[in-house]
Parts: sequence; structure tokens; C-alpha cells
Amino acid sequence: MKSIRRAQHLITLMLLAFLTGMGVLIWKLQSEAAFYISHSNKVSLGCVYDRNGDVLFDPNAGKDTYNAEHFLDVGNFIGDDSKQMTNTLVMKNKDMLTNFSFMLGVQENGRAAVNTTLDHAVNRKVYDAFGSKDGCAVAYNYVTGEIYVCLSKPSINILNNYTDLETLAEGSMLCKAFHPTVPGSTQKIFTTIAALEEMGEEKLYEKQYNCTGSYVNKEGKTIKCHEEGGHGMQNISEAFANSCNPYFAQLVEDPDLPLSTIKKVYEKLGYDVNDSGETELSVNGITSYTASTTLNSSEEFHTQWGCMGQGETLVSPLQLMVWQSAIANESGKATMPYLIANAAKVNGDLTAFAKTETGDRMFSEDAAHAVRSIMLENGADNYANVLSGTTIGVKSGTAQIGNAKTENSLLAGFVDDPEFPVAFCIVIENRRSGEVSTSTIASVLLQELKASLNE
Amino acid sequence: MYKNGLTYFSAIALLFLTHLSMLGIVLVRGNYESPADLMLLTAGVLALDVGYIIVTGIYKQMTYTTDFMLLCVLGMSLIFQSCFGGVHLSFKHLITCIAALVLCQAGFLLTRNHEWIRTRKKYIYIIIGVLILSILLLTGDRSMWINIGSFSLQPSEFIKPCFILICAASIVELHKKIKILFFYVSKDTLCLCGAALVIFALQWWCRDLGSLPTFAAVFACALVCRFCYPRAKISRTALGILGGVAAVVLIVAWNLAPAYVQDRLHVDIWADQYGNGYQQCQALIGIARGGWLGLGPGQGYLHNVFAYESDIVFSTICEEWGLLYAFLTVILILMMLMIPLMNPPKNYYHAMVADGVVAVFVAQMALNIFGSCNLIPFTGVTLPFISMGGSSMMTCGFLIGMLKATQSPLFRHQQETEQPEKKKSRKSAKTAKPARPAEKEVNA
Repeated sequence: MKSIRRAQHLITLMLLAFLTGMGVLIWKLQSEAAFYISHSNKVSLGCVYDRNGDVLFDPNAGKDTYNAEHFLDVGNFIGDDSKQMTNTLVMKNKDMLTNFSFMLGVQENGRAAVNTTLDHAVNRKVYDAFGSKDGCAVAYNYVTGEIYVCLSKPSINILNNYTDLETLAEGSMLCKAFHPTVPGSTQKIFTTIAALEEMGEEKLYEKQYNCTGSYVNKEGKTIKCHEEGGHGMQNISEAFANSCNPYFAQLVEDPDLPLSTIKKVYEKLGYDVNDSGETELSVNGITSYTASTTLNSSEEFHTQWGCMGQGETLVSPLQLMVWQSAIANESGKATMPYLIANAAKVNGDLTAFAKTETGDRMFSEDAAHAVRSIMLENGADNYANVLSGTTIGVKSGTAQIGNAKTENSLLAGFVDDPEFPVAFCIVIENRRSGEVSTSTIASVLLQELKASLNE
Repeated sequence: MYKNGLTYFSAIALLFLTHLSMLGIVLVRGNYESPADLMLLTAGVLALDVGYIIVTGIYKQMTYTTDFMLLCVLGMSLIFQSCFGGVHLSFKHLITCIAALVLCQAGFLLTRNHEWIRTRKKYIYIIIGVLILSILLLTGDRSMWINIGSFSLQPSEFIKPCFILICAASIVELHKKIKILFFYVSKDTLCLCGAALVIFALQWWCRDLGSLPTFAAVFACALVCRFCYPRAKISRTALGILGGVAAVVLIVAWNLAPAYVQDRLHVDIWADQYGNGYQQCQALIGIARGGWLGLGPGQGYLHNVFAYESDIVFSTICEEWGLLYAFLTVILILMMLMIPLMNPPKNYYHAMVADGVVAVFVAQMALNIFGSCNLIPFTGVTLPFISMGGSSMMTCGFLIGMLKATQSPLFRHQQETEQPEKKKSRKSAKTAKPARPAEKEVNA
């Protein structure tokens, strides 16, 4: 009889295993049903709103109900449900927008919605500030992680229903804040951090190198400075403010700064160094390009050039902005950005409240403190008019594109104000002298944003 | 003596209540062009119920629970299949339901007597051999299907009950061991392992990897039962060896599996929604669309998707009837499999048959339901009694007949052969219990 009971136990075991599986399945189906239905062709979606209740996406939008260019500045970022663009807020969070519940099914007149942290009015003003130039701008609260501004120009007017695809400018259908760009001299922030990690603040300040307008490195190749007459002897703070290439070439070559330390710091930041592996950064499902560079030898031209943000070094403006938070907070840890503040379910109940999250430590607090001081000094000396009455820590950059045929202008930094803790990154493509500058756009962005948040 | 749970008339009432309430739902929420379609469906379901009750009522049965549960499931299945895409009586499914009921009785009558089966074991091996040869010679290129005009047969389905029978019938001869090299092994166990290997190889060769886990589950049950027979406990060493062998087999199988099989283990179906992931994506969307209570019989969209009535039938039911109804149907099938727990088998042969039948049903249900819902790789096997398919339906009917046979009393000659074994086990027991007197064979 015991053997028979054993056989019965086997039956019980099989049935229990199956029932457990059924339990898991029902839980999965019930919790993921909105995601499944969002992939259906017969789906009713809700709207996306900005932080002030302005509409950023409306599935029933038309030129008769909205201003003809109402969605232009967020067209390639917030997007729509047409599946023409996939890396957008709407496409990545369609399940949150579905007017659907597992109990009631699809509700045509449901109240599902996504409330974002974006400030549409400011976003539009910054978009307009670009004038005829293309580029992107992104800004967020480096304490909470709320994204206030994110735009990419040229953009797409989704109210045209993609009838103008043939005449659209290249890059209109992607948000460049999430795509790779050559960082230019903004990269020097992170090379400085690597030097601070290795030597400490005191020793780094003791390192002074001469700039005569160019520098022939140990490989025999020349690295030119933008100041043809040279900057003379400089310390790190002066070289940082001057964005002096010969100084940084000599710093990278210095035996006191092993390349392994630079690699380590870059990798902790999230760089894919020499194909070491990608680290994903995303904002509510919208994925960002992983920064990458190639570092072979301290004495090699390409390596030195890469440490100055040229050549093969690529980052996304979003990453550049996020890294500013680790400096601004003096923690060495980034505040992770988010765009969705909360979402309304089909019955209108709010859910999915955003939480502030910080990333892993990327560099030490001491290094963060030291580089913060250097950036603030640079901001006070050179960018005092960007936001009157407030100091910003900042680093500009000029990125050579396509064998230096064109140059992009970059500006990354943060506001040194606990009441207005904003980090930002601005890129102007193919900028020439006399055209709108990154500091002008930064000024529009910060002043308008401050005014809007204080309302 | 036998627990039936409900009285005979209560069972009949419950059966009709279930089917009539479902037909009521079809009347209220269903998608039918004319009332005649619904009338025809009602007539078909009730004819199936009444006909089977009359046939089984002709001779007295000690247990009727299995019959009523089977009839209940088949009636539900007929209603489900007749409503997909619009209400109409599915004659094809009605015929396969009748075939399943007939084969249930056949399975019961043929497999209830242990001695009768044991003495005809070689014929079962011959039947398996014939079925394997028919697959090799009569099917197309590496296929499992024999096509005769518009009619298709899947011989591998019929191997399942045969395999369970050879697993169960050879257990009592486990002690008859012969020496091969340094090992003492049972001849019957060797034959069983050989048959299992041939069946596995055939499944692998035909790329019918959906049925392979089903046979593996039956074989695993047979091995576990052999390890602990006649002892009640399975030793840790034996368990370790069994686990080790299973792990090695899995690793080898994984490495030898075709690329498309390996892909299915980690494929993101949503990234290929209109390609390889189409069926599963549509199945999941269908479940979501149906929610708890469904869109209504015949009101769904999944009937436009390939294999909606077989491989992804669980989702099609969820879409039209709701997850709640689909889950209750599964629970009803599980309750049918719990019969051996309610009325324990009287000997080890019946216990092993019950294990094998439950293993087949649980494996197939898991592969079908969890596979179509993307919990495990999608293999495309049928859902017992619910999926459309003659071979599957007939096999399932026969298997339930075998399960019903596990509630049979001991036969007189069987009692005589089993008595010495019982005495032997009593000696080893500290507190001997009085043996249950063997019953006379009941004209069931």
C-alpha cells in the first residue's frame, strides 16, 4: 500500500506543479494584459500631459483642435502611436495609455493618461531659440530626476500625419538627446575626474604644463590648441577654463596618470571602452546610446584625442547631462532621470508614481567636489550672464564632425542653486561664428524654466 | 466503498446544468446568424449527454464520476469549438467526441485486468512497433502525420497509451533480474528502456519536440516508481543518479537541439510580433481582449489566426468566454485526474497506469497552455479534450478509460498472485494492518 501511496503522491506532485504554473500564468496575464492590448490594432489610448496639464499627445488630435505646430517641439520625443517612430514615450509606454482593464475590457471613453514632468511652454521657447540651427537640449532636476526640457531639432509635426516624409530633414524622426554625438571638450570634465581619482586635488594642481599653441606628443604627432599663440604654463583649473588641448595631451601622457585609471573611470561612468560592454541608460523605456571610446596607449594620438572628446569618442547628450548630477550633488552618484510623474488608470485613479533613484557610484565624493569647484570657477569667469544672480558650473565643447569639416558646439553644466537644481546639456550642430550660441540657448532655457517653476 | 462525490442523479443534474447554462450564455451573448444554428448546437450537446447516459446506464457501474466528468468536459468542448468565429454545430468535433466516449469504454474494458494485460505485453510492443513503422513508412518527409485524402492521422498519439501500459505491466516482474556483465537488471526494464529510447529517437528525428516531453514525463514516472518499488522510500542515491542522468540528458539535448528550438527559449515574441511571434502575440492579445468574462461566444477575432482551434485553443476560449471560464475548464480536467486520489488504486499496476495517464495530461496541458501564453517555448501540442483533432481526442478518451480502470477491484486470479507479496510486506511492517478483502470482479 505504501508503494501505491507513493504513486498517489506523484500524482499530487504533478497536479500541484501544474496548478502552481496556472497561478503564475493568471498573475502574469492579469498584470501584463494592458501591455498585450497595447500591441493590438484595436486599442483606445489616453493622452499625455506636461507638468502644467498641457497636452503632449492626443490620439484624436487634429489641426482643427490644436494649433498647427502644437506638438512640433515634442514630435520626435513624445511621439505618437503610428509606429513610425519606436523610441518615443508613447510607443514605449503604450500599455500605460491604454483605456483597458482586465475586468472591463477595452473602454473607448476611459480616463487613462500619462502625466509627465516636461514643461511644454519652456520646451517650445528653447526650441524656438535655436532659430535656424539644428541640435538638441535636455535639462532635468539633478536632485529629483524630473526631466523639464527635452527637444531635438529638426523635429516632426505629427499633425501632418506623415504626409511630408519625403521633405523632412534628416534626423527629424529621432530625438538626438538619446543619440550619439562627439562630446568635444566636455569630455575633459571626465578626464579631469580620472586625474583627480588618481592623484588627488593637491597633486593635480601641482601639475603644470606649457602650451605653445601646439604640442608634439611622444608618438610624434601634433595636437593643436584653438589658441594659436598658446596659453603658456597652466594648472588644471586654467587649462579647464581655456579648454587647452596641449595641456590635456600632456596630462594623459603623464606617467602619474595611468591609462588604466582613465579606462576605469570611463567604464564606471558607463562608457563602452574598447568594446568592454554596453551599459544601458533609459528614461521610461526610451533607450539612450551607450557612450563609447577607444583607448589603446597613453602616448598614442588617438587615445589622447579621445580623452579630449574627439575622434572615436561618442556620448549621448542625455548621458552628459546625467553625469553633471553626480558632480553637482558632490556625491559621485548620478540621479536617474525620469519623465513620467504618474499615470492615470482607465478609471482615473492615479498610479505608477515616479521615485527618485540614484545610480551606482561612478567616482569619489572628493573628485566630485574638486571638479565641481573647477566647473563653477569656469562658469563664474565665462558664463556669468547665463542666469543672472546665480553661478553655473559649466564646460563647453567644440566637436569636430566628419574629419573636421563641420563643428558642433556643446555646453554641459549645472546650476549651483539648491532652490533651482538643474543640470543641462545643449548641442548646436554645424555652428559657425556669429550664429546663436549654446550659452544663449542655456540662458533662455534656465531663465524661462526658473520663471515657470516659480509660477 | 467507491467515492463518487455526488449521487447518480445529482451528477446528471449538474451535467445538464453546466451545459444548459453554457448554451444560455451562447443564447444571450453569442454571435449567431439564426436561432436554428443555436438549436442545432443544443440538440447536438444534449444528444451526446443523453446518449452516453443511456449507454452507460444499461449496465451497472460502481463508479460513474469519471464518466460524468468526461461527458461534462466533452460537452463544454463541443460548445467551445462550435462557437469559434460564429455559432454553428461542429459536426467534426461531435464525431470525435463520440469516438472519445467509445474509446473511453474500450480503454476501461481492455486495461482494467492486470493479468490480462501482462500476458499480452508482447502484443503491446508489437503495436508500438507497427505504429513506429507506419510513421517511418507512411508519413511524409520527417512528419508525424498520415494523410488519407482530407483525413489525417497522427500515429504517435496512439503510442502514448501503449507506452503507459508497458510501463505499468512490467513492474511486477522487476524482481526477475538477469546478470549482464556486472549488473543485475530486469529484462522487462531493459525492454522498456529500449522502447523509450526508440520512441524518443523517433520524436527527435521527426522534429515532434512537443510530444517528446510527454513521453519523457511518462518514462520519468515509470523510473521513479521502479526505484521505490516495492520499498516505500526512494533512496537519496537513486534520486541523485536519476537527477544526474536527467541533467546530462537535458544538456546533451540542448546542445543537439536545432537552432529554431534554442531560439524559442529566449526569443522576444513582441520584437517579432508579425513574424515568428505572431501566434503567441495574437494569443496573448486575445486573452487580454477577453479579460475575465470574455467578449461572448463567437465574438472574438482569434479564429482568424492559424491553429486557433488546436494549438492556441486556450487563448481562443479566453477571448470568447473569458479567463474565468477557461480556468474552470482546466480545473474540471484536473478534477478528473484527481480520481485516483479519491479512490486509491487497488494494486501497483493500476497506480502506475494512473501515474502515466496523469503525466500525459499534465505535460500536454502545460505545453499547450503555458507555451501559447509564452511562459515556456511554444511547441504546438493539443489541449486534451478541448483542441480539435481526431487522433488526440481518441487517445485522450482511451486514456481516461484507463484512468477509470484504475478504480477497478482486484480480480480473483490477480488476488491469488498478489497475496504472497502482501504477506511479505506485512512481515516487514511493524504494525500490520488487516488486508482489504479482495473483491469479486464487478460487471462494470
